[in-house]
Amino acid sequence: MDSKGDEELTKRVVVIDDDAVILLSCEQVLSRAGYIVEVFDRGEPGLERVRQFPPPVLVVDLKMPGMDGFEVIREVRTHAPEVVIVVITGYATIATAVEAMKLGAYDFLPKPFTPDELRLIVGRGFERWALARESERLKKQKEAAERRFLSFVSHQLKTPAVAVKQYLDVMLHTNRDQLPEQALQWIERCQVRLGEMFSLIDDWLALSRLERGELVRKEEKSDVCRVARDVVERLQPLASKSEVEIHEFFAEEGIWVRGDERSICVLLENLISNAIKYNVRGGRVEVISSKQEGQVVFEVRDTGIGIAEEFLPRLGEEFFRVRDETTRHIQGTGLGLTICRKIVEELGGKMTVESKVGVGTVFRVILPEAGGIDGPAKEAQ
Amino acid sequence: MTEYRILLVDDDPDFAASTTALLQSAGHSVLWAKTGEEALRMARQDRPDLILLDVMLSERTEGFFVLQEIRRDTELKDIPVIVISSIYAECPGFRVSPEKDWLPAERFLAKPVDPITLITEVRRVVEEKGKGEGR
Repeated sequence: MDSKGDEELTKRVVVIDDDAVILLSCEQVLSRAGYIVEVFDRGEPGLERVRQFPPPVLVVDLKMPGMDGFEVIREVRTHAPEVVIVVITGYATIATAVEAMKLGAYDFLPKPFTPDELRLIVGRGFERWALARESERLKKQKEAAERRFLSFVSHQLKTPAVAVKQYLDVMLHTNRDQLPEQALQWIERCQVRLGEMFSLIDDWLALSRLERGELVRKEEKSDVCRVARDVVERLQPLASKSEVEIHEFFAEEGIWVRGDERSICVLLENLISNAIKYNVRGGRVEVISSKQEGQVVFEVRDTGIGIAEEFLPRLGEEFFRVRDETTRHIQGTGLGLTICRKIVEELGGKMTVESKVGVGTVFRVILPEAGGIDGPAKEAQ
Repeated sequence: MTEYRILLVDDDPDFAASTTALLQSAGHSVLWAKTGEEALRMARQDRPDLILLDVMLSERTEGFFVLQEIRRDTELKDIPVIVISSIYAECPGFRVSPEKDWLPAERFLAKPVDPITLITEVRRVVEEKGKGEGR
């Protein structure tokens, strides 16, 4: 918008009053004071104009035939809450003025009023509007800065770690034969520990985005079967290393849930990798999904070490991890289930857990089916 | 084994040093550019077989502009490009599909990149490009 247009926007005032004399004098007084004045002698058309093109300030008479001032105030508060409302009250009845203020009017002007009183009170209304607009602008600016800060910090944290990891990877790849056994072992440990750091940065970033409502996109849909197969394929090396078999059982093809693929991927990846990590050699992981009465049920079952009853309520707490002899060697950030819980909450679903020590654990996620949502264009054919 | 001339664009000298050593061990020769401007100049001058490009150089999105500039330049537009960056690695499996107009790269790899993956992709991308042109 050009500056002239912007100035017009910040100078507009709408006056609604059924009294033609008041309307005329308001128009004259306020125009002379430099405002751009639009007048209406009835509530309905005035409200229509305010809703379509909200001015900074609205001056409205409370007592009018047809739609009265109270109704106008209620509608404006609902549909254009940024408009500052000044009411004109006949016969100086304080009770009605108070009622209007309760509905959200900013100030009132008892009849009869002088041109000075009108100018003063409308001027104050404009000041209030400008103040609100400025603080809204600052709020948005602050949010954008925080968003940039998040990705900046995660990038800055990762860059040095990436450089170190790359040296270690290349060293192992190109000079493996020349390295003493001890050095090889230590380099491999370095890689494992760096991996922990990357997971921590990624989980922290995912969690921060979740808390800001920026990760999950509810208006999209994803096919649980497809995402689960992708995730399982990617986790296959970890499963083979841990000697754990993964089995998939889908009641049908194409089980669509509400939520973008990326969030569903993060959710499933956390649950399935947990089921592998907290398993035993020769153990099984079952990934099961079906539709039930407009909902999608998704289960990850493992035959792993299980979780003691006293720890179950604490799952999903930030940085909480079960620490004992059986879990000491398992890597994790302690944020995975927190992330899962929040994604499921955002999508309006539910996550429950059942577990028996030494037998295994079942994580069950219930998510709304994607009925009626058009997903994003799926990957290009 | 075919040798390629590869232009590596990355502002981190350590990442560049290790990646150069890796690519050299696979028989390729490597040129290193630290900035977008340097990258474009070296690409025009040396006509590499492949460009490996980081997205965040000194400016946050400098790499994107370099890529778009390469694609606009009639002499450079056919050089295959692999984008390597840490910015999209936050969710494994999340990829920017290469056919997207705004990021016209042949491949997208997340940092840190596995040595075997990098060497395989380098070979594959140059070979695919060669076949495409032969048709």
